[in-house]
Amino acid sequence: MLIFSRYTWWLGAMVGLALVVTAASQIGVLNPVQGAFLTVASPFQTGLNAVFRPIATLLSNAGELNDLQDENRKLRIENERLLNQLSGARQAEERVKELEAQLNLSGTLKDQTRLAANVVHRTSTPFQDELSIDRGSNDGVRVGMVVVSANGTLMGSVIKVTGGQAFVRLITDAKSAVNGETVETRSTGSVKGSANHQVVFNFAEPDVKVGDIIQTSAISGRFPAGIPIGRVTEVKGTAQDLSPAIKLEPLVRLSTATTVQVITSFLPQPTGVAP
Amino acid sequence: MITFAVFLVIVAAALFQVSVAPLFPVGGAIADVTLLTLFALAFTAGPRRTMIAMPLLALFVAFTSNRAPGLLILAYLPLLPLAYLFEGGHLPLSRYLRILAAILLAGLWARTVLSTGAFIEGAPFAPGALIGDVLLPGLLLDAVFATMVYLPFRALGWTNRPLTLQRTGWH
Repeated sequence: MLIFSRYTWWLGAMVGLALVVTAASQIGVLNPVQGAFLTVASPFQTGLNAVFRPIATLLSNAGELNDLQDENRKLRIENERLLNQLSGARQAEERVKELEAQLNLSGTLKDQTRLAANVVHRTSTPFQDELSIDRGSNDGVRVGMVVVSANGTLMGSVIKVTGGQAFVRLITDAKSAVNGETVETRSTGSVKGSANHQVVFNFAEPDVKVGDIIQTSAISGRFPAGIPIGRVTEVKGTAQDLSPAIKLEPLVRLSTATTVQVITSFLPQPTGVAP
Repeated sequence: MITFAVFLVIVAAALFQVSVAPLFPVGGAIADVTLLTLFALAFTAGPRRTMIAMPLLALFVAFTSNRAPGLLILAYLPLLPLAYLFEGGHLPLSRYLRILAAILLAGLWARTVLSTGAFIEGAPFAPGALIGDVLLPGLLLDAVFATMVYLPFRALGWTNRPLTLQRTGWH
């Protein structure tokens, strides 16, 4: 018992240390130390990623071969349909540009300044889904900036920045909440992450159907409008339900993303509307 | 020299925990490299060095994964006392089973604390996901990796350092 008491003082000291570092972390005292550590560790993290990610991808794909073949078949069909839509969309885009020029309007998504970044690592548990990227405050990245995929689909937003790295909370993180709207009806709701990287759409109107595309809404001031988020995959409830349970599938495969883009031209300006 | 080697080991463990382990999930759980490294250190480099290494490793993991450092220290806190209790207790178990029991209990505690931290920070409470996707796969992973680490040592005829704290020195 006397011997165990030597562990007891250590346990007490560690609880005290835990409280001290928690307080230090909250007020940002540890940020310079974290930045310095990440600067040194970053090349090693990148190297480990380069070695082990292909192995992980190979193992993952081997386990999902049937699903991938099925997905590939569906994507081919969808690709053909989208190519047909594209020509019409290009004409419409040109027409919109002409009208915007005549009305002296600007502010479309294409005006955004974006910063490309590599994914350093992903922290993924059923309750946490975050990325770290190799761009930080030295590159102009700020907390709250929006992160999209290489093709412009919403991935998440920056929650912490050090000199050379930034941490991004993905939309599949259980703490994530984004104001969204349906492309078809422009009715707004809240896109929230939940356990096991599910994304749900809390929506107060019953007119959402499977296949609808959800995009960001500017109502909260935290995200620019019109960034695609995901597609509705499941609607539970009847037409009489005021709040049907709606599940979304993100339009981008978050687990395999190796590069992202940070929208540096948009800084959140919260309007007080909760997501 | 040993102290420097321990430092290198914990830096490598933090990098593997954050950069490699998440690439190979089982269910919602990932291998707890931190836990296994600390146990291996306790049995090879001695408990005193591990008492210093534990908070350092927790800090390094917190820095690289953006987790709360205090929470990580609390998550790995019972590891040494548990190992000590199982080593010295009068349980009718082999040495392997004693070590395994200590690792499984410490892993269970660590995953519960880290998940509780996520709930406190705002994640919706999901006991089903916690048990089915984190704790149970975590137990399986800890058992498999602990066995993978233990067996080579056993094959080499290794006997672990005692976890009883001596009055002086880096034992």
